[in-house]
Amino acid sequence: MPGADKEADLTERIEAFLADLKRGGCGTGPIRGSGETARETTALLRKVTAQARWSSAGDLMEIIRKEGRRMTAAQPSETTVGNMVLRVLKIIREEYARSRGSSEETDQQESLHKLLTSGGLSEENFRQHFVHLKANVIEAINELLTELDGTTDNIAMQALEHIHSNEVIMTVGRSRTVEAFLKDAARKRKFHVIVAECAPFCQGHEMATNLSKASIETTVIADAAIFAVMSRVNKVIIGTQTVLANGGLRAVNGTHTVALAARHHSTPLIVCAPMFKLSPQFPNEEDTFHKFVSPHEVLPFTEGEILSKVNVHCPVFDYVPPELITLFISNIGGNAPSYIYRLMSELYHPEDHDL
Amino acid sequence: MSSRGGKQKKGNVTSEQEEEEQPLQAVLVADSFNRRFFPISKDQPRALLPLGNVAMIDYTLEFLTSTGVQETFVFCCWMSNKIKDHLLKSKWCRPTSPNVVHIITSDLYRSLGDVLRDVDAKNLVRNDFILVYGDVVSNIDVSQALQEHRHRRKVDKNISVMTMVFKESSPGHKSRCEEDDVIVAMDSKSKRVLHYQKTQGLKKLQFPMNIFQHGSDEFEIRHDLLDCHISICSPQVAELFTDNFDYQTRNDFVRGILVNEEILGNQIHLYVTQDGYGARVSNLQMYDSVSSDMVRRWVYPLTPEANFTDQQGQGCTHSRHNVYRGAEVSLGHGSQMEENVLIGRDTSIGANCHISNSVIGNNCTIGDNVVLDRAHMWNNVHISSNVEIHQSVVCDGAVVKEAVHLNKQCVLAYNVVIGPNLSLPDGTVVSMHHPEEEEEDDDDEFLSDDQEVGHSKDKTRQKAFNPAEVGPEGKGYIWKASMNDTEDEELAQCLWGLVLNPDPESDSESEASEESQDRSRSVSPEIDDVNAFQLEVLGTLQRGLEENIVCDNLVLEINSLKYAYNITLKEVMQILTRVVLEYPFQQQGTQLTTLQYTGSLLPLLKTWSPVFKNYIKRAQDHLDCLSAVEELFLEQDTHQTAMVKVLMKMYQLEILEEEAILKWFSTGATNDKSRQLRKNQGLQKFIQWLKEAEDESSEEGE
Repeated sequence: MPGADKEADLTERIEAFLADLKRGGCGTGPIRGSGETARETTALLRKVTAQARWSSAGDLMEIIRKEGRRMTAAQPSETTVGNMVLRVLKIIREEYARSRGSSEETDQQESLHKLLTSGGLSEENFRQHFVHLKANVIEAINELLTELDGTTDNIAMQALEHIHSNEVIMTVGRSRTVEAFLKDAARKRKFHVIVAECAPFCQGHEMATNLSKASIETTVIADAAIFAVMSRVNKVIIGTQTVLANGGLRAVNGTHTVALAARHHSTPLIVCAPMFKLSPQFPNEEDTFHKFVSPHEVLPFTEGEILSKVNVHCPVFDYVPPELITLFISNIGGNAPSYIYRLMSELYHPEDHDL
Repeated sequence: MSSRGGKQKKGNVTSEQEEEEQPLQAVLVADSFNRRFFPISKDQPRALLPLGNVAMIDYTLEFLTSTGVQETFVFCCWMSNKIKDHLLKSKWCRPTSPNVVHIITSDLYRSLGDVLRDVDAKNLVRNDFILVYGDVVSNIDVSQALQEHRHRRKVDKNISVMTMVFKESSPGHKSRCEEDDVIVAMDSKSKRVLHYQKTQGLKKLQFPMNIFQHGSDEFEIRHDLLDCHISICSPQVAELFTDNFDYQTRNDFVRGILVNEEILGNQIHLYVTQDGYGARVSNLQMYDSVSSDMVRRWVYPLTPEANFTDQQGQGCTHSRHNVYRGAEVSLGHGSQMEENVLIGRDTSIGANCHISNSVIGNNCTIGDNVVLDRAHMWNNVHISSNVEIHQSVVCDGAVVKEAVHLNKQCVLAYNVVIGPNLSLPDGTVVSMHHPEEEEEDDDDEFLSDDQEVGHSKDKTRQKAFNPAEVGPEGKGYIWKASMNDTEDEELAQCLWGLVLNPDPESDSESEASEESQDRSRSVSPEIDDVNAFQLEVLGTLQRGLEENIVCDNLVLEINSLKYAYNITLKEVMQILTRVVLEYPFQQQGTQLTTLQYTGSLLPLLKTWSPVFKNYIKRAQDHLDCLSAVEELFLEQDTHQTAMVKVLMKMYQLEILEEEAILKWFSTGATNDKSRQLRKNQGLQKFIQWLKEAEDESSEEGE
């Protein structure tokens, strides 16, 4: 029974992925980069599309939604997973619409005009069967995977437009995207990077080591010195964990401090964020927004008696409001925070926003 | 995928092929082999007791799975059916689980030793395996330890049989179990365990000298270690348990290996981790602290909201101040969840309640104006209004009626009803099982639970509840803390561990500590022994004087006393000197003048000189005697002038030799006081006289 075998293999893979997600990020944030998570999620969803039993687009979307809900529940702070599920759902919608022969534009745009003219939302049932739908969807997902593979390079390519010679640039913590961005610029330009260490996990140390290996002049500062140093800085370039629907960020602790200091000194704040980090989540969803890890880094377990007398918290993320951000650099170019809503509607279908 | 997960975790362990061939195995012992949790564990085996609303065994299995274990053998004995049912329903037994769980049950297991002997008999393990108990909560990544263990075995040809995982935590930490307090001596470089001893509240510890004599030049003696009860064992461990059928616990095993190290050539190593969390819930004190650590997220990523057991409807949300709420929780007007609170699904809480540092299970109802602090409430508990609970455990189905006050360390076991209007004192344990029934079916305690329950039901009907103890509407019997000390001396009823009842520990010293005490006696005797010996000597001399006993017999008596109290020769002499010199004070009070003192002492010295002569023979003995004299006169500084006379007399009686006195005078001064003493006029003269006498005698000799 090869069919049953395949199905068992599929569920096993999904379970393993869920378990990995749950255990992922012991302490220092995600063990693997979110880019990798995005690719893994997409590859898994492609496998689901290829191996699960479905006859129409509606069935497939139901399956993907179900698995997507489980995946996002496994690690709510890892929004990339949810984003990828939404992207795949959108792909299915598009492919279905194309198979039916209707134009994509009319299907997804909710203009005021359309709201007035049409009687309510056009209720699609996605029940029609198309022979080539599966192949088309898989093809589209493959395209998405190729896009994901190229994101970091696409962002890094724009570095020379933003970094000029003899500039002083500040960054915080460690971001693979920012690292690639700076390294790319360093091939042609000389500049100085100041890295805030980002206690208590101190990913900044690793970042500084990597940058100095690429022969970039690098200085590590304590988080407390961010404001003092900011007056010398020409530009702040940071990464983020998630770009929220309002254009705000959910980024590693300390980013808000940097952003406020930058605002005070009118220093431009640039965020390097690939499109897959764009999430339809708003910052008011309190319960899943934060992530608290073991307080070990703040007050070591070896401390003895004091631990029973105090409460120690170790949050991982900061919220940065969109007003503090000057520019987003994504793999499709630079955008202002106010433009995020537009990108959102291009990437995700409004009906999918909550799984 | 399972193998992929494994590889990712410990990517650089030897070669990947080897990894594929030898799946990592684990032995999980889902029985504590003691009755520490009685009467709670009468209804539910310890491994299934909920910690943060999740059975403890699930934490252990999750820990094993996340470290890459692919095959786990769960051994259960007490209430094995319940454990089996639980596991079969859990995610561990789903076909997709990366960790294959085999359940092995037998009523014959009485100790860890039995389990491991069975492992060996059934030939279950083929390679290094992880050995844990079913009540270990941990998120330590042992892959590093595993790698070290394998490396050692490769290099040293299988000499190392076990690697124990310890976590660094300084003394005084609340998650340190005092019963498991250990002192470990280890080789700093190779991490080899040289000596391992449970402190068990002992003030004095003794290390065999030979551990310092061979091996490398760096040692560490550590007390800041928390035993996680996780050990990486090689298959030899099971064989060794078979060979030595008297090994019952891991402690026996470790001691056995260390003692026989030279004969068998096996070694035990240590892995100390600073990250991660690992603790064993060995009593309720530990239950309390592990539960609070879990709610405070020390065991991240094993947090309540992670729902790692993957059970439907178990999810909960995490908000500020570590407040976790399950689905469908209702909270009345004015109620506060202050901090570190976990509330299970479908629980409803009334108005104006104050809840802090507590864990509340599923389907509980809590009335109005309730105060809960450090309370652990399991499922289906009913709490009426105006109840106060502090640091207590309330088990499944218990009912607490109005205005009941539970003080610290109370335990309400399954289905107990308490109240109304009652205050339970500290440390009360209430159970539906009558304490006496336990003695009766003591023998079949390890039999199947159905039978057990049948028994108890009959008995509950027979005996009436005492309304003074459990309230007018109450149901349940009070368990006394000291009830069956005699019967089961080791673990008695000290549910809460040492804090509540420190005696059992010191009483129930295992052979280990007794042995070590014996040994410590032989080397440096207890102060008490010396004092007792001194009194005996005094008595002997007194009798000798009164009854006019010959000096030879006195010597005989003192010698026998010396052996009885295990006193060294040097100490005998010092004590003897002291006793004799203090004798006048003893007899006539301390108000003696110097003249009276010397008057009564000198004849005594003359009488007992043969006794002295018997003990003072070598040059060293003379010096020791002199220092004893000096010590005494330093204490009795009003009588220092008498010292010269004493020395003179002893010289004349040929107890002391002049060379020894001169040597003592010139070299003995170690501190200001003794220097002061040597400046004494009389003493100076005496020494002068001695020197002249010596000169004369030497001149005569020429």
